[in-house]
Amino acid sequence: MKKKRFVYPLALVAVSLLLLLAACTPESRSSSGTPTAATGEEPKVTLDFWTFWGSETRRPIIEKIIDDFNQSQDRIMVKHTYLPFGDIWTKNLASIAAGNPADVIVNDYADVNLRASKNQNTDLSSYLAEDDIESRFYPELWNNVLYEDKAYALPFNTDTRLLYYNKEAFREAGLDPEQPPQTWAELEEYAQKLDKKSENGYEQVGFYPLWGDFGVDSWLINGDGGNGYFDESDQAAINTPGKVATLEWLKSWQDRLGRQTVDAMKADFGSGVSDPFISGKVAMYIQTGTYNTQIEEFGQDLDIGVAPIPEREAGSGHWSSGGGFVVEIPKGAAHPEEAWEFIKYLTDVDAQKYWAMENFDNVANIEAAEDPEANENPVYQASVENLADTKVFQVPLSASGYKDLINPHTDAVFLDKETPEQALEGAEKDVQALMSKNQ
Amino acid sequence: MGRPALSSTGKRKSGEPIDAYNVPVRKRRMKPREVFLFVLLSVGSLLFLLPLWWMISTSLKSPQEIAQYPPTFIPNEFHFENYVHTWQAAPFTLYAFNTLMLAFFAVVGNVLMNSFIAYGFARIAFRGKRFWFSVLLATMMIPGFVTLIPQYVLFSKLHLVGTYYPLIIPQFLGSAFYIFMLRQFYMGIPKELTEAAKIDGANHLYIWARIVIPLSKPALAAIAVFAFNGAWNDFLGPLLYVNDEVLYTLQIGLQSFRGSVQTQWNYLMAGSVIVLLPVIILFFLFQKYFIEGMNLTAGTKG
Repeated sequence: MKKKRFVYPLALVAVSLLLLLAACTPESRSSSGTPTAATGEEPKVTLDFWTFWGSETRRPIIEKIIDDFNQSQDRIMVKHTYLPFGDIWTKNLASIAAGNPADVIVNDYADVNLRASKNQNTDLSSYLAEDDIESRFYPELWNNVLYEDKAYALPFNTDTRLLYYNKEAFREAGLDPEQPPQTWAELEEYAQKLDKKSENGYEQVGFYPLWGDFGVDSWLINGDGGNGYFDESDQAAINTPGKVATLEWLKSWQDRLGRQTVDAMKADFGSGVSDPFISGKVAMYIQTGTYNTQIEEFGQDLDIGVAPIPEREAGSGHWSSGGGFVVEIPKGAAHPEEAWEFIKYLTDVDAQKYWAMENFDNVANIEAAEDPEANENPVYQASVENLADTKVFQVPLSASGYKDLINPHTDAVFLDKETPEQALEGAEKDVQALMSKNQ
Repeated sequence: MGRPALSSTGKRKSGEPIDAYNVPVRKRRMKPREVFLFVLLSVGSLLFLLPLWWMISTSLKSPQEIAQYPPTFIPNEFHFENYVHTWQAAPFTLYAFNTLMLAFFAVVGNVLMNSFIAYGFARIAFRGKRFWFSVLLATMMIPGFVTLIPQYVLFSKLHLVGTYYPLIIPQFLGSAFYIFMLRQFYMGIPKELTEAAKIDGANHLYIWARIVIPLSKPALAAIAVFAFNGAWNDFLGPLLYVNDEVLYTLQIGLQSFRGSVQTQWNYLMAGSVIVLLPVIILFFLFQKYFIEGMNLTAGTKG
């Protein structure tokens, strides 16, 4: 009977493991279960809402909004699930493929149309037909949630870029701190007055266009009358006179300061107290509206002003660039109608105003964005006003991944390997080839 | 030890007689080759320790100091409260418990099942054994990302997404790599031992449990350590399969310090140090088996 002596304990282990497993397993939520209320009233629908807002600053804000929604009615119960930024969309894809996605998810503007074309989000047009809320959003943002003229998401937040300038440095250089530069010519003139050079190089650089949060892409929009890389009929419009002139102008800044200076100084830049603008290494700097919270945290003594991005010449437009996030219903979500109710609430004035005031983040709802209470902060107010000049572009489906083709060309310009004309000509050819291949 | 040490270069004042053989410093002098190797290894290990040191140092700094340029190697001020704050920023005690539980099942599952399967391949003759063994090895060639979505869909159809089952069940279904490792080890156990037991009337289950397992403790320990490590550090698995924050693991919890706009490096690093600690302790406790495992995989033993 020796056999039993160890078969028995083995079986015991197996059984106890099973019990442990059963004990540790919560009730399955694979399809957003619908637990019935204890009193036997109408069953409450539970929605699973996925966001990447898990930080100590953002989580309480979004959870307050969810809580308010849950209190506001007794039919729908929203549960917030935090997932790490970036990875959240990996999980979204897997769950859509398996047919048990979240009910609502936060996603980015850039690929709403791509996801729609691949059947990953829900067409909202039937809900909008009954309940037209299009007018509450900035039209620029609304255009980004459309695919074949149907909306597949609702805009939630957005951002915009502004010129921050150091008023103290302006005074030192004999410039009027209430008169920020309006045009590129003024920007150059001011920048040179603000440069402080010593034997060891620059102590302060007045301005360098590609430091900060306004890259070549954004400048090409600014210098080309607010036009992006694609025209209205979704054709590549990269090699335009406006863009060539812009790229030449950007290159001239590097030529004047010297590539070594630009690279060496950039290598020194950090964040927080060693941020180049906050530490006084740069007198004018382009950043998003929320950058102001960093100034408030790390540079309380700074006397700063904000202004729209200077325009190429008077009348060409102070174009800026933006981005942000939408809320959408993944394809195959179990309760699209309730999810619609919730995303409607998320983009309504109360929720949007709360988000704006707690975060100083720009919101997609016009009424909330322009609310006087939220606009008491002057920098926030400037960022809201700037939205009128802010461009957010949808990428044509056939050009998905185009940036990888453009960037090598623009990089080559700053390495003196291509002239601006060559670069944009080459980029346009490459992107056209990609688009014709995908069509 | 307590003796006057010879200066490392071995230089002496001129005129002083050199009597290398009578110097009672060391019984044996290091050969130049050994000195070279020693220096090389020291520099090498310092290089490998650098990221670890950087992590610890960052975890003790204030956000201001992290952003400072030039960076400081040793924190100016030690902010030990970062650790307390990190632990409180998210329900880390719960996450630690969850992770431990998953690691426990991973260890039990992998050690039991793989050794069971490997025994079959090593000791039992059956039809098509070679074929099935090559099929098993072939599964190692498929990258995990390829099977990710199909596996997810499968578990979803079984209505198990949102539970720990998809993370635990596969641990009990064998892993080609460990099976291969153990099979090689079992092949090295003298046949006489198992055959003698067979003649005495023992069946395979008995031989496996009473003879093979006790003899293969080092190999099993190596697998236990690998399995623990794998489950402890798994990020994608819990991310995909778990929907309820109550079930999150440490690796997901750590990500909450990383945002779309900015990262709280001091907390992220403090959390990483805490999460890494068990792995380091485990390594020192089972160092022998870790290296044993390397040998097993390299095929020098077996």
